[in-house]
Amino acid sequence: MSTTPAVSVKNLTKIFKGSLGKGAFRAVHDVSLTVEAGEVYGLIGPNGSGKSTTMKVILGLLKPTAGETSIFGIPSTEVASRHSVGFLPENPYFYKHLNGRETLHFYGRLCGMNGAKLKSRADEMLALTGLEDAATRRVGGYSKGMLQRLGLAQALIHEPRLLVLDEPTAGVDPAGSRIIRDLIIEFRARGITVLVTSHLLEQMQEVCDRVGIMAHGRMVREGRLEDLIAVENQTEMVLENASPALLAKIDALVKAEGGDTRLLRSGHPRTTLERLFLEATNEPKKS
Amino acid sequence: MSQAAAQTSASFSTPTVRFSPSRVWTLAHATMTQLMRMKILPFLLVLCALVVAMGFGLSVINPEKQLGQLKSFSLGSLQIFSIVIGIVATALLLPKDLEDRTLYTILSKPVPRFDYLLGKFIGVLMLIASGLVIMDAILSLILWMQQSVLFDAAVAQLHQDKQDTPEALAQLSEIVARQGLTWNLHWAVWAIFLKASVVTAVAMIISCIASSTLFTIVITFCITLIGHGEALIRDYFFQPNLHSTAKHVASFVLAAIIPDLTQFDVVDSVTNGQIVPWNAVNDMTGIAALYLGVYLFITHLVFVEKEL
Repeated sequence: MSTTPAVSVKNLTKIFKGSLGKGAFRAVHDVSLTVEAGEVYGLIGPNGSGKSTTMKVILGLLKPTAGETSIFGIPSTEVASRHSVGFLPENPYFYKHLNGRETLHFYGRLCGMNGAKLKSRADEMLALTGLEDAATRRVGGYSKGMLQRLGLAQALIHEPRLLVLDEPTAGVDPAGSRIIRDLIIEFRARGITVLVTSHLLEQMQEVCDRVGIMAHGRMVREGRLEDLIAVENQTEMVLENASPALLAKIDALVKAEGGDTRLLRSGHPRTTLERLFLEATNEPKKS
Repeated sequence: MSQAAAQTSASFSTPTVRFSPSRVWTLAHATMTQLMRMKILPFLLVLCALVVAMGFGLSVINPEKQLGQLKSFSLGSLQIFSIVIGIVATALLLPKDLEDRTLYTILSKPVPRFDYLLGKFIGVLMLIASGLVIMDAILSLILWMQQSVLFDAAVAQLHQDKQDTPEALAQLSEIVARQGLTWNLHWAVWAIFLKASVVTAVAMIISCIASSTLFTIVITFCITLIGHGEALIRDYFFQPNLHSTAKHVASFVLAAIIPDLTQFDVVDSVTNGQIVPWNAVNDMTGIAALYLGVYLFITHLVFVEKEL
């Protein structure tokens, strides 16, 4: 089994030179991270924290001022590293004169694909992203969610082992956002490594195996999601159809235990606003 | 790590990425289609219609003058059209791809930056070439039709004036043949294409350095204007002050920085009915190839270091 990480970033620093009297700007400062093959890694942080710059250096679109990055062991500065990676930028646009299928053919040909293999792969990606019905429509008429899904399809066209997604759900409605989230989960099941940034922390929590939190160009936290968000000295127990008598008994037991053990709260767990929205908007119309 | 990922990791070998003509063609074709959608073709068709109308609209003065005017106006329009398209299209392409993030999706694929640049450049040249081929065909047709119409009218006039001697008719025939449809017309169109190619390559360099479309357009137009007056600049600044070797070096440096576009000026000769010799065509083609090679190399050096 190969132990080469999907993405390796070592002591990355990126400084943008100032122009016309403006001072230099340090966007990323000594950041290191590793994304293991097959996992979903979430890079989160506020605007201007250096996430996109880090991604661009990983993709070879920017050159590091210091440090090094590699994709499956190949330095990002080499074009060959891009064989293994598919990228979805934030709010992507495509050539408006092409339709969905032609767009995928265009990107496939750039990757050296052609003929029947390209056609079947493009159709497969259109089916995967739910764009089969829109395959012959001009991209200029696509909604934001459809553009994002087409972006995912083009990122996957050459069967990359790594997907880099920059804010994949930005500007997409909750239903479209859910589709993209489900796709990320499916990619993981297919063995594709995913490096993703998003501001929707709840969604990140649902899909990520590990996360890195960036602020002011530095990595401030990194690790397995479960480890990072677990409150070590608390235990959660969710009961279904529990009677008030049973709850009273549990409360009494906790009190009888004594020491530091306390029942902090009990009540009905709340659903998420996203789930409520999706349930409400998917209900059949009442006549 | 999932089993599938482990299997893929173990079995995958990364191929090297080399220059690929098919990849360049894919980019060139997409670029040309993109530009066609920017309503450049309707502009070309309107221009064609104007030339056609002008060809039939001129009053009959004398065949030599009339055919000369037709060529002068048409070739002048073609020259302006091809340069404007070359500059504006090139200035729009890179910033638009960057703004739409299309550039990110392309360059994050195994696409060397040189392939991207060359594809864009060839796409613009294909558009200019298509326009020029269409215009050349239309102009050739009009010239061919006009030269017979004008010849017949002039012969009729000579007959009416009782001056239709064999010598006068032979002279008229020679004038019409020289000013009418000849290979010279196609060489003039070829020279226009070469000039537009060099200007497009200059626009490509400026576009890679600058981030503003307007800046690229203005600076490239300035360079184009200076390029048309380079011989005058050389004569004015270098002739009286420098020794021969220094003059040659200085002229070479100037010509390298700003292309000497007068090298491609054969339109006036063609309009006057002069023959464009083969060696002149070869020289023009060689000079253009040299400029394109150097400018594309510089563009690549700039673009490969560009922070996207």
